[in-house]
Amino acid sequence: MEGVAMKLPSFKSLAPNAISIGHRSFSRVRRSSSLSVFSAASSSATVATNSESVSLGHRVRKDFRILHQEVNGSKLVYLDSAATSQKPSVVLEALQNYYEFYNSNVHRGIHYLSAKATDEFELARKKVARFINASDSKEIVFTRNATEAINLVAYSWGLLNLKPGDEVILTVAEHHSCIVPWQLVSEKTGAVLKYVMLNEDEVPDVDKLREMLSPKTKLVAVHHVSNVLASCLPIEEIVVCAHNVGAKVLVDACQSVPHMVVDVQKLNADFLVASSHKMCGPTGIGFLYGRSDLLQSMPPFLGGGEMISDVFLDHSTYAEPPSRFEAGTPAIGEAIALGAAIDYLSEIGMPKIHEYEVELGKYLYEKLSSLPDVRIYGPRPSESVHRGALCSFNVEGLHPTDLATFLDQQHGVAIRSGHHCAQPLHRYLGVNASARASLYFYNTKEDVDSFVVALADTVSFFNSFK
Amino acid sequence: MNTSSSFKVFASPPLIFSSRPPKNASQNPRFSFKLPRFCPKTIRCMRDSLNLRSSPNAPSALSFATVEAPLGTETSDKLRILVSEFRSLTEPIDRVKRLLNYAADLAPLDDTARVSANRVTGCTTQVWLEIKMDEFGRMRFKADSDSEISKGFCSCLIWILDGAKPEEVMGVRSEDLSEMNVGVHGKEQSRVNTWQNVLMSMQKRTMTLVDADVAHRGGERPPHHHKHDLLFKYVNGSYMESSKVHHDYSISLLPLYYDFTI
Repeated sequence: MEGVAMKLPSFKSLAPNAISIGHRSFSRVRRSSSLSVFSAASSSATVATNSESVSLGHRVRKDFRILHQEVNGSKLVYLDSAATSQKPSVVLEALQNYYEFYNSNVHRGIHYLSAKATDEFELARKKVARFINASDSKEIVFTRNATEAINLVAYSWGLLNLKPGDEVILTVAEHHSCIVPWQLVSEKTGAVLKYVMLNEDEVPDVDKLREMLSPKTKLVAVHHVSNVLASCLPIEEIVVCAHNVGAKVLVDACQSVPHMVVDVQKLNADFLVASSHKMCGPTGIGFLYGRSDLLQSMPPFLGGGEMISDVFLDHSTYAEPPSRFEAGTPAIGEAIALGAAIDYLSEIGMPKIHEYEVELGKYLYEKLSSLPDVRIYGPRPSESVHRGALCSFNVEGLHPTDLATFLDQQHGVAIRSGHHCAQPLHRYLGVNASARASLYFYNTKEDVDSFVVALADTVSFFNSFK
Repeated sequence: MNTSSSFKVFASPPLIFSSRPPKNASQNPRFSFKLPRFCPKTIRCMRDSLNLRSSPNAPSALSFATVEAPLGTETSDKLRILVSEFRSLTEPIDRVKRLLNYAADLAPLDDTARVSANRVTGCTTQVWLEIKMDEFGRMRFKADSDSEISKGFCSCLIWILDGAKPEEVMGVRSEDLSEMNVGVHGKEQSRVNTWQNVLMSMQKRTMTLVDADVAHRGGERPPHHHKHDLLFKYVNGSYMESSKVHHDYSISLLPLYYDFTI
């Protein structure tokens, strides 16, 4: 287990009497023999089909106090983790700890607190690097979030390397943060944006993408897992094809890094971005992974302290990456808390988290599609197609906003409605908005059941007004 | 935010833009409404009203929700009735039901009116608003939406404002409508957007129609017309220098002469 100062969840805390009271699913588990719960605590992370084994979701819930509350008179069912994840108490403690005991500016002072803060900050960087298997922690640039990371690449790498007529390939399913920066930069450079549409499985058409590649292509910027379609793109394959024509690849891994093993060496991507707040870390921090030689060649993005070497009145020289791209005082506590989040996730094990979510996601899909008039977007799950653990859907004749409002008001179920920062995708699908329920490893089968029951109730409520 | 000075609510109906050349311009304090001085406050109030949760003035803002539109007008009566009706519905679900009932009452909108010019920007749902001025100089509204709850909101707004005089339209404040909100006050920001955006759209387009009407009748542009221009360049609470190029960065514009008392 990597990581420093982290409280190991002891077996004691897995005992029945430590499980939060009042949670319906826990009371069911508690009634079974305490011994079997105890011994099953470290068993596989499968969705609990019987009361003997405890699923991962049930096991970790105690770490997330925010989930144990009522909203509008009903128990909170949080199904919006694709928008932002909840944070376990160790992460909050790490943040508190930083501010309480060693808050100090980094890379600047030589006194004890500053040295400690710097050490912890750089340790967090190493943890991120290890988490995605980067070859060196210098390849990790801390940013405010993935959006800022993409903008960094667009303005730093893009402005330098894109010439009139150069092509940037995106998909129609990209998040706005991976569309708008390229639009802004292509306006300035004369580069052309090309979009890959969806195939009949409602997944970006990788064959078409391959066809689009040409010596004019300079960059392919694609998501790993779609926040609407829940589809997963074959990044390794795409990178091979892109590199063949001399194009770079940027991977938007916001919905993949939190949920599965992401290995940048294996993917061989040139750039990869992710946000901390989607992976149990705090908001205000994210990162860009960039291959060393690429980062070396890139000019600064934001100017200020930290990213300079020498400053004169008429010019300055710049620091080496990653500092070159980290102007100003960083979000130190947040980076350290992200490190704690990574420790937490690593301790559970990303393969385990992924396995649990595949099952739970499949369960969500099945139960949702069993309701009449529900249209789920993205590919159907199968042996070969693993969907992310989220479903964007629409109910015939019911606006997703009305749906989400009722679910929240009447049932305490939190889902998202709108375009999920993917307006082009919605336009392509022919809808204005959709509803989205997204899961994370702290959700349980019972959450899905509550959601589906609430949804059925919502639909019949609105139907009664027709 | 200086609450005490802005506490004094309308003692008299605010002199909103009138289509008649204002002969009492010199007398009415509104005209010497030193716009630059007031505007930062109004803008801040606007922003504050959107951040009721975090604003330390939030409690007083909530108490202001009961203050009505211009006194003694039909509009303010209707507003009062609707506010008290919704206030009596303590269960959020009953408010939703009431809104859905009102949605059913909404007069249908012609397909020809569902054009982008009539779209109310800033809402997640699609809302179309058709607005005319009738031969008596009163504002007529029609609206539709793809969301039933939004339709309900529109239905309420139209019930209050259809047939109202332009100044009555301008006199309605978004805080007045917060009681109708579907949900607890903490959620005001999200739901209020639909109300607010539709109301703003009604008010902005009312102004445009009134201007056009004045121009059409060859009337003199009122002396404070430039102030009204300035206000329409306020974009989400930030003052934009008037420029030749019109960049529409806005999703909601401030209406004229709002006294945001928070």
